[in-house]
Amino acid sequence: MPSATTLTAENLSKSFSGPPLFRGLSMSVRGGLVAVAGRNGSGKTTLLRILAGLARPTSGRVVLERAGRALPDPERRLAVGWSSPDLELYGELSGEENLRFFRRAAGRPEPLEESRRRLREVGLAEEAIGRRVEELSTGMRQRLRLAFATLFDPDVLLLDEPANGLDVEGRAVLATIVERARRRGAVVIASNDERDLAGADERVELDVSRKP
Amino acid sequence: MSEEKADSRTTAHGSRLTAHGSALSSVLAVAAKDATAELRRRTALVAVLFFAVTALALVSFAIGPFGLPADDRPPVQAALLWIILFFAAATGLPRAFAHEEETGTALALRKTLPAARVLAGKALFNFGLFLAIAAVTVPGFGVLLEASFGSPAGLAATVLAGGYGLAVVSTFLSALSARAGQRHVLFVLIAFPLLSPLLLTAISATVEALRGGFPGTALRVLIAYDGAATCAAYLLAAVAWEE
Repeated sequence: MPSATTLTAENLSKSFSGPPLFRGLSMSVRGGLVAVAGRNGSGKTTLLRILAGLARPTSGRVVLERAGRALPDPERRLAVGWSSPDLELYGELSGEENLRFFRRAAGRPEPLEESRRRLREVGLAEEAIGRRVEELSTGMRQRLRLAFATLFDPDVLLLDEPANGLDVEGRAVLATIVERARRRGAVVIASNDERDLAGADERVELDVSRKP
Repeated sequence: MSEEKADSRTTAHGSRLTAHGSALSSVLAVAAKDATAELRRRTALVAVLFFAVTALALVSFAIGPFGLPADDRPPVQAALLWIILFFAAATGLPRAFAHEEETGTALALRKTLPAARVLAGKALFNFGLFLAIAAVTVPGFGVLLEASFGSPAGLAATVLAGGYGLAVVSTFLSALSARAGQRHVLFVLIAFPLLSPLLLTAISATVEALRGGFPGTALRVLIAYDGAATCAAYLLAAVAWEE
């Protein structure tokens, strides 16, 4: 069922130094699962950052509309969830404190029990909830990133290499999150691992759009 | 029809109030998070207090209470006090954004909040840090150099107004230089011209306060500087910190 929210990228190009990572890339995400594939350095992470509003394209634009209305900035930030291996949460705080901080900072505080439920949903056990993030393992941090990405129950969920460091149980948690987000809205996954991209409704190949 | 208009005005007014409330809660949340992290890490707090106490001790040993003629004491003492406050603050305040970039947490913050709210929260934390420095330095300065605080209210107002400006400008420059390779050099180079008017005015106000007068004119200049710095930081926050 298509989401009421649409994330549209129009004619995106991105260059750092050297040839552009991608040029003239357009896509429209209305619902379901969109896979972004491409070899290392093809711009998957950059594309997801641009879609998340964390990086500016060299040219082109990204519009997020809900019921035909472009969302203003503060609302837009929360309507798109994002996770990436580059994302770090505060090491001095516990996972629970991190989630509660971001909810409060966004002006949407929630009860303690709700934050704990979110952590349990990504499979972080009770004993991990109170521990500082700097004490968590790689896999636990990845689960926490997933909890951060879904913190505001976003319409569009952008996941960059979401299975990094996850064990079998972690992959099952990821599959549940993706399925739930897919039913609610849209999920965009960028990955080098074809297992993460299985069952996608659409596929964007970045290598194809890249021209030397 | 008029009721509809009134309703829409009320709704618009209500949503503005909600937006302001949300902005305030964002600012307070960022400041509280920085305070919690700092109390657990203690890097900036220990560094600035160590610098302040060391500088204070060295100045008191070098000059002492009677090393200067009575007439020369207020200008020299005022300059020394602000040099200590400035350099102690410069040890900790510029870390506001640099730490976020170094640890990779900047992306989560950027994803969730507009830059202006982050900057305001960090400026609030930095102002608190400055007040903690001043709470140690100013009384210590009074005791060790036997400085006579002729107008304690004038001195307190000067420290508050000067500290606020210092916190806002330092926080903004921290955002601006956070992703630069030579961020410390960049910070100092930009801070010098921007903070010189503030420091010179704060020193002038402190001289007057030490001599027993209330530094009304200098305080008005400081407050105007603070207002201008706040507006500029608010308007330029996104340019400084977001890509």
